[in-house]
Amino acid sequence: MIKSRLSKRIAVLTFLVVMALPTMAFAASEELGGEASAYIAKAIGAAVTMSASALAAGYAQSKIGAAGAGTLAERPEAAVWIVVLQALPEIIVLLGFVASIMIIGMPVTPPPGG
Amino acid sequence: MTKMATEKRAFQPVSGKDYGYANARVRGMRSRLLAPTFFEQLLGAANTREIIQQLSATEYESDINEALIRGLSAANVDIALRSNMVRTYQKVLSFANEEAEYILSTLLGRWDVFNLKSLLRAKHFRLESDDLGGGVLPVGTLSSHDIGALAQLEDVKAIVDTVATWRLPFAGPLRDGFSHYIASGELLPMELALDQHYARWATDRLSRRRTNVKIGRRILGVQLDVGNLVMALRQLQADVAAGDAESYFLPGGAEIDLDLYLSLVAKSDVDEILNELKKVSYGRLLDEVVMTYLEQNSISIFERALEQALVRQVVSLGRGDPLGVGVGIAYLWAKQNEVTNIRIIVKGKEVGMPLDRIRKELILV
Repeated sequence: MIKSRLSKRIAVLTFLVVMALPTMAFAASEELGGEASAYIAKAIGAAVTMSASALAAGYAQSKIGAAGAGTLAERPEAAVWIVVLQALPEIIVLLGFVASIMIIGMPVTPPPGG
Repeated sequence: MTKMATEKRAFQPVSGKDYGYANARVRGMRSRLLAPTFFEQLLGAANTREIIQQLSATEYESDINEALIRGLSAANVDIALRSNMVRTYQKVLSFANEEAEYILSTLLGRWDVFNLKSLLRAKHFRLESDDLGGGVLPVGTLSSHDIGALAQLEDVKAIVDTVATWRLPFAGPLRDGFSHYIASGELLPMELALDQHYARWATDRLSRRRTNVKIGRRILGVQLDVGNLVMALRQLQADVAAGDAESYFLPGGAEIDLDLYLSLVAKSDVDEILNELKKVSYGRLLDEVVMTYLEQNSISIFERALEQALVRQVVSLGRGDPLGVGVGIAYLWAKQNEVTNIRIIVKGKEVGMPLDRIRKELILV
């Protein structure tokens, strides 16, 4: 849980900015036309995918890290296992990275009749 | 309260309710608890020297080495075991988060009552402070410095006054019980007042509606139930007036309320008590050992069954929510049970008790 007041404010502000970005981008794309609008949509999709997976990995690592530190304090011989467990959530962010690359690389098809 | 003790207690518990770090550490410590097979090895030891050798290869090594400077004896092994237990409890409390520290310190408050009772008895019977060693275990609010300072006092009145000066939560019941002590010359009213105060104080502290607090409350409730049941069974053998029976009741139990308790103490034999207990979960538990009771005709069979059930129930909490307070509570109980088992073996061996008898006294979880 986020405890400090400053951390809470930063989290809320980041959330609001992220939510406001697509609206602002689409408002801008109206002026540029259909293809530009599709590129902006892809960029936003990739950004959301990447950041959500990075946040999820960070959250998982914070929990594993705390428990790992506790285990290491009592059982230093478990160090290798702790490093392996600590690295596991990186898979989440890697999958997010791959998904965002795929989104960026998607061909832009013109809207029917456009 | 001594300055050193206050400083020692002023550690800052980890904030919040994140159990990840603390529980992982407790699980690491739990992995070093002695296996049931180790107790069989201890039972097979020829003498105290061999027991010490076996214990020196375990978690108790540093405490054993420290205590044995005073000589190789069962009494010094006892000191080492107690010192290890106290150190372990303090260690767990030092890294527990705020919520766990609150719940654990409430449950450990029973040791404050135990320590105060030992001090009062020592002063009442005019024992030297050195004789007190085995009777105190500073794992509650009272540190070893506080207990040492109280042990140096002259008499029961001085202890009551000092506890009031330190503004400990037990000052009130001690003061109330002291007037009875002066009038009758008996410690029992003071001890009862302490027990009842702890039951009320702990029940009140654990009345919040949080999952982890509820776990602590459940354990406290079972603990108080066991106390009340043991008292009801013992009153079968003692000649207690009906009016006095109520004064032995500890409020806050999980299943045994005052009405049930009074109906239990009104019974004239064990069969009637067991019939009455069929309404609650303890009935089935006591029914299982009724044959052993008939063979040995000793109330202690029931006391032992209740004690075992309490230990098993608390230790099973450790297999529950991995991110809850149960892991810590279970570990502290398991550690206490381990130390008790070793003490039984060491003392049993020393006095030449038969192995089967020692084995029966152990609670292996």
